[in-house]
Amino acid sequence: MTELAMTDAGGLSVRIEQDQPIPLDIEFTARPGEILAIVGPSGSGKSTTLRAIAGLDTPQSGRIVCNGVTWLDTGSDINIAARRRQVGLVFQSYALFPHLTTLENILEALQDRPPAGREDEARELLARIRLDGLEERLPRQLSGGQQQRVAVARALARRPDVLLLDEPFSAVDRVTRQRLQRELAELRHDLPMPVLLVTHDLDEAARLADRICVIHRGRSLQTASPETVMTRPVSPLVARLVNLRNVFSGSVKEHRESAGVTRLAWQGRTIEAGLSDAFEPGEPVTWCVPADSIIVHRRDRPSQGDRENPLSGIVREAVQLGQTTELVIVVGGDDRQPFHLSIPTHAARRNGIVVGAEIGFSIRAEAVHLMPPEPGGPEYEQSAID
Amino acid sequence: MSALQRPGRRLFALIIASSLIGAANLPARAAPKVAAASDLQFALTEVAEAFRRETGDDVLVTFGSSGNFYRQIRQGAPFELYLSADEQFVLDLAADGFTIGEGALYAIGRIVIITPEGSPVAADSGLTDLRAALADGRLDKFAIPNPEHAPYGGRAREALRHAGLWEALAPRLVLGENVSQAAQFATSGSTQGGIIAYSLALSKNVSALASFALIPASWHSPLRQRMVLLKQAGDSAKAFYGFIRGPRGRAILERHGFTPPGGTP
Amino acid sequence: MMDWDALWLSVRLGALTVLILLPVAVLVGRWLAVTRVSGKSLIEASLALPIVLPPTVLGLYLLVAFGAGSWIGRLWQSLFGHTLVFTFEGLLIASVIVNIPFAVQPIQRAFEAIPPDLREAAACCGLSRWRSLWRIELPLAWPGIMTGMVLTFAHTLGEFGVVLMVGGSIPGETRTISIAIYDRVQAFDNESAGLMAGVLLLISMVTIALSYLLTHRLGHRHD
Repeated sequence: MTELAMTDAGGLSVRIEQDQPIPLDIEFTARPGEILAIVGPSGSGKSTTLRAIAGLDTPQSGRIVCNGVTWLDTGSDINIAARRRQVGLVFQSYALFPHLTTLENILEALQDRPPAGREDEARELLARIRLDGLEERLPRQLSGGQQQRVAVARALARRPDVLLLDEPFSAVDRVTRQRLQRELAELRHDLPMPVLLVTHDLDEAARLADRICVIHRGRSLQTASPETVMTRPVSPLVARLVNLRNVFSGSVKEHRESAGVTRLAWQGRTIEAGLSDAFEPGEPVTWCVPADSIIVHRRDRPSQGDRENPLSGIVREAVQLGQTTELVIVVGGDDRQPFHLSIPTHAARRNGIVVGAEIGFSIRAEAVHLMPPEPGGPEYEQSAID
Repeated sequence: MSALQRPGRRLFALIIASSLIGAANLPARAAPKVAAASDLQFALTEVAEAFRRETGDDVLVTFGSSGNFYRQIRQGAPFELYLSADEQFVLDLAADGFTIGEGALYAIGRIVIITPEGSPVAADSGLTDLRAALADGRLDKFAIPNPEHAPYGGRAREALRHAGLWEALAPRLVLGENVSQAAQFATSGSTQGGIIAYSLALSKNVSALASFALIPASWHSPLRQRMVLLKQAGDSAKAFYGFIRGPRGRAILERHGFTPPGGTP
Repeated sequence: MMDWDALWLSVRLGALTVLILLPVAVLVGRWLAVTRVSGKSLIEASLALPIVLPPTVLGLYLLVAFGAGSWIGRLWQSLFGHTLVFTFEGLLIASVIVNIPFAVQPIQRAFEAIPPDLREAAACCGLSRWRSLWRIELPLAWPGIMTGMVLTFAHTLGEFGVVLMVGGSIPGETRTISIAIYDRVQAFDNESAGLMAGVLLLISMVTIALSYLLTHRLGHRHD
């Protein structure tokens, strides 16, 4: 579905390009009722994007259309002021009006309604997010979680065409955060508009969002469901951004269409992947596999079958973090392309998995994903992400 | 807005409202405004009082430095009568058309040296003790009116030059903005003395605090004090002008140490 | 002996100065707080001039600018039949000019202290610029505005150099209480001078205490 077609059906379509003050090259769409998480490290341009959608900043060039209404089109000199766009924005700091009560804060967003029904609507909203009884409190008399709910209610009072949440859970403790996330997950069924959630926390995005848009240094790299992004990243950079650490460079050996298999050459071995005929035999590729598709062999049970890419290596690191042990395994003595995976600590103990021990494991062929090779090879370190 | 603000705002509003009403309904002041040199502080107050007793009319006198009044009148200050301590100011204004004629001399002024009670310096006509006090360090500070724009200050400077004391005294001078302020400084005890107007020294308020001696008139150019009616002068001002020149006015002035014009100081 | 005329004159001058400066200072202070125009420092510096210049210098410049020789003075003369200087109106204009920094600076700081995301939140709530100012910003800036107004009032009550130059100590018209006190001192009437000084001090203290009280009460409301 092209973006233009999407906007005809309602929802939000965003395209932003600029060099100054920070470089941006963003493009995505969001459907009504969908939660789209915009994920990226700090400084990647997420908040700037949100502010541009809200109308608080104007990018050098871009086009933003919401529910068929053009909010911004630099080519045609259209730029609707923030106060005239129907946006609901929940600020990271909540930005509640400190001198007004909870009820009054909500009422400010209801000024475009006829006066008679305003208070009732405000009270209803507060009841909906479980803040009834707190109408007369001032923001400073509310807990962090309560303040956040007021901010959401105020944004919703606007009956916005798009709901924007700027790192809404970052300022609260973990327990509150989880509760608020749950409430958002429940609330979203009542939200007919697209919801954009900006966060640097990938897990949060994966838990809440229907799709995520991965942003890095101002560029939107991939917009897809969390599962897709995390198992089939579109490039090695995205793989690293979603914390997929098993990224390796190799080359295509051959395709076997009849078996639905593509065979890769890697470090003198052959790795079998699902058929990926977009790549030519002989072509260098980068391949990756998610950690949960790597199966450690039990000591007493050797691997079964050869569709599973059996490998063996030496445990370079075994770090116990509570119930889980994180392993780094080096195959064939090449430290530069280790495998990362986690296993339950009790299994590690049972199988005698300690640093220096030999270990056998398998990689599910279907989970092996091919990407264009990255410049500079897999030694493309963490620095690329900062 | 909180209820706490209301009493403050009401009071505020009340003041504002009455200010506006006050501004609109300022009673028309028929009493003429008179600008008088500071040395007339006591003399003219008495003359004005006598004038009121005789005619029933009031005048509003503002005392200050002749030079300052001269500048203000040039800028259009609404005075109707100007009594200067130096006739040159009056003649200048007349030449530039601010006045009705050139006015008239109303007095010749004199300067005195004055020393407050307890001062280590003694006041004498020849300034001899002043000279001695300068030499032996008894004198720390000495007050005169500002010679730049106060006529009495200019005469003080002339007299001191004549006595050969100006150079030595200059670093120890405290300058009064007008002759009244110089009198303040000279009698307050923060200086050891000063040179001020004879008319001020004679007043009870001042003489109670100090001793003084007349400085010879030959030591400085004469203080020809001239007054003039300004262009906008009304009848009341003119009447007052006449009163000052008349016998009663002259008598009061003389009592306050002013030599009548034409007399010998 | 108390010169009630002079006291009333001073109070009226102070109150009217505040009344005139209040809307001006709020608009200018707010504009300065949010604008990013390139000449901003220059504008702030010129508005601060009355604090830096000695009052007599200020008074002199104002006298020349509004006096009988200036075009403003002549215009006034032709309209009203008398000069602008040496009248209450002239004093009022001078007082307004002289008090600009005392009014604008605290108000500007108060608006600057408002977190920018509050203004943005107001915009996202759909508030018009006017409503945002009136309902969101002004209440938050109010303590600073009060400070500005109190400073202006108190400063006007005590203003001497400018009043003397531009006003001329005309009784009932421009002889404010500070001038009257000076006048009584010059006349060796220390009793009256002391009495009036005491009354002036009392009024100033009551005014300032009252406004700080109100400011603290307001401040606590949304700390």
